[in-house]
Amino acid sequence: MVSASPRGAGRNVDVVVIGGGVLGTAVASRLSCTTASVCLLEAETDVCEGASKGNAGTAVSYYGPPGTPETDLINRSCPGWEALCERLDVPYRRIGAVMVALDEAEAGRLESTADELREAGVRGQLLGPAAVRGLEPLVTGRCVAGLSMPDEGVIDPMALTVAYANLAVTNGAVLRLGAWVTAVHHDDDVTSRVDFTGGSVRCRFIVNAAGVAAGAVSSMAGGEEMRYWPRKGQYAVLDRVFAQQLSRIVFCTHSATTKGINVVPTTHGSALLGPTAADLDDPDDKATDEETVAALIDSAARLVPAISPDFVMKTFAANRPASDEQHRLRFDRQMPRLLHCTNRSAGVSISPAAAEEALALLRQSGLDAQERPDAVAALPRMARLRTEPEPQRLIETDPLYGQVVCACEHVSAAEINRALEMPVPATSVDGVRKRTGATYGRCQGALCTAGISFMTALHTGTGPASVRQTSRGTVGSR
Amino acid sequence: MTPPFLVVGAGPSGLGFATEIARQAPVVLLDRIPVTGGTAGWADARVRQFTAAAIRRRVQLRLGESALRWGNGLLLVAAPRRFERIAGQHLIFAGGLRPATAANLHITGDRPAGILAGTVAEHLLATGVKLWDTAVVLGDGPWARTVAERARALGTRIVAVADGGNWGDERLDRPDRLSVIGRDRVTHLRLHTSQSFIDVPCDAVVLAADPKPNRNVDGALVEGTPAVTFHQPVLPHAAAERYEFAVQEARKWLEVNGETR
Repeated sequence: MVSASPRGAGRNVDVVVIGGGVLGTAVASRLSCTTASVCLLEAETDVCEGASKGNAGTAVSYYGPPGTPETDLINRSCPGWEALCERLDVPYRRIGAVMVALDEAEAGRLESTADELREAGVRGQLLGPAAVRGLEPLVTGRCVAGLSMPDEGVIDPMALTVAYANLAVTNGAVLRLGAWVTAVHHDDDVTSRVDFTGGSVRCRFIVNAAGVAAGAVSSMAGGEEMRYWPRKGQYAVLDRVFAQQLSRIVFCTHSATTKGINVVPTTHGSALLGPTAADLDDPDDKATDEETVAALIDSAARLVPAISPDFVMKTFAANRPASDEQHRLRFDRQMPRLLHCTNRSAGVSISPAAAEEALALLRQSGLDAQERPDAVAALPRMARLRTEPEPQRLIETDPLYGQVVCACEHVSAAEINRALEMPVPATSVDGVRKRTGATYGRCQGALCTAGISFMTALHTGTGPASVRQTSRGTVGSR
Repeated sequence: MTPPFLVVGAGPSGLGFATEIARQAPVVLLDRIPVTGGTAGWADARVRQFTAAAIRRRVQLRLGESALRWGNGLLLVAAPRRFERIAGQHLIFAGGLRPATAANLHITGDRPAGILAGTVAEHLLATGVKLWDTAVVLGDGPWARTVAERARALGTRIVAVADGGNWGDERLDRPDRLSVIGRDRVTHLRLHTSQSFIDVPCDAVVLAADPKPNRNVDGALVEGTPAVTFHQPVLPHAAAERYEFAVQEARKWLEVNGETR
């Protein structure tokens, strides 16, 4: 689970990052490009297993309200998505969004949102109903007004998180998976020892990017008492037969209390409806229920009437880290070497600037982190058969591009092998899915899961019973 | 020269359809795996006869080639070392059936390891490795019996949640609503009745209900697409009957479409 020659491979590093979600991996990848040594600890057996996995797939231009550090980080991140995603080989399309008002009350709130956008320096334009439907013809005829937000984009959040982790490991960061942090001891005012299942590591700084577990990590590290709880969001994924007609993100009008249900074209050609919001106690509760899913589809169909339950390929739930402080990117007030790095919901959208900010804060506190001229800045491009207009040229790079494993999403054996061999490799069927999009389609893996299981088993030295299906569970139970 | 008819899927249905229309026009028959027979299996004696009949009618077999995209009279296919666009006057998609997904069946609850499609379970069990202690096989689709027999032979107890389903160690009626329980691995399948529910302990759930047509060629995903015909009947099950049904359907189809050549 480590690169060939990690820097700081001993038991001492400059920075330990706790949490392999989008923020933890972004910070680790940024630090890995400097002379500082970094160790990334992730409790699960793969990166991107928490909120970042169940993400709405948007890189937003505005989340609100204006004038907050979160809005500032979104503003700083937003212009750079094309360049970053090109560099990290992450699917991204700046397709723009339209926020839809269905009655006069919503139209009034839309005007307030337009004012907020102006104040935040984000592009947006109020539109009449005809113009809304000109932008996105699938929007309901009941629409009374709209707000165009041209800088919104769709992104593959799992590919982004994996790419950050791949870049970090390529640049010598140490990644420890299955590493639950169990204790943090402070040797003195300069160094700490972080104990985790399977080892321990000494460091000067700790970055707490543990998402919903960030409160527990802070307590262990002698930091502030911080309360985090899971906010469950349920989603439905719709078939491309519907999604190929959808050209833009469709948002419902924000209310004072919720951002509501969105309709999002994904970078894989499907569409995502969600998220709902329900506060929980149990971070492992990721169950869907029939009533919520039905209400979710109804809400989405109010915006886009062409949506019907017949298009649903999959439903799932994920928990985002709600907290009394919606955004924390600051040093702990009691433990000055503990840097908190968590966000309620917009982790993907702030991640590039948050990583820069984390580095700046660590430097201000004395971390010697100079840019390394030999740091790798870009990941090798992995061509995707599905989106390649002239696939014949792929054969020259790998003949296995012609061997289609996932029939629905047209994912080839070449892509799956790459996922199983990358710096942070897939070690489960689910890990292959996150890295390639295999099994995303309408058969949900009925045609390809056996093949992916066998390929994964070959690469992980397991067999049909013991190969991992998910991060936590195997195909067989024995 | 008139381009050939393209038939995708060389199971009994595709073989029957291709062989019948080959009476009138050139036919290319493709399959993503390198043998004929589809789920009936290449070793089946009938499949061998059907394949021989297709070859006698000069059906051009292209096996191990996956159809990817269809449009403007061209089918993009992938083969292990090559991509090619094949011209065709009409695409007949006989890509077979797959089990209904959890979403198709409105199954809610957790999403742990141990939930597998019947098609997947068939392949995994063909390795001869015991995978589970107790598996629920859900539904009566064509995979259910094979999965149950293979798993039972390896020592797995099978609970059939299906209206037929006498092939299990135990059988329960299939309810309207189902949900999965289990965080890391499935521990129970919950069967909801109007008033209450029962939890069936298990360490795997095999989805083998309500066969749905495979649809995986971009540009040929929905009924009504011009120059595309779908032949993916749920019944009959048996290979010989599926073949014969395809022959009959192809004859009817030719009466309507035969003049296109």
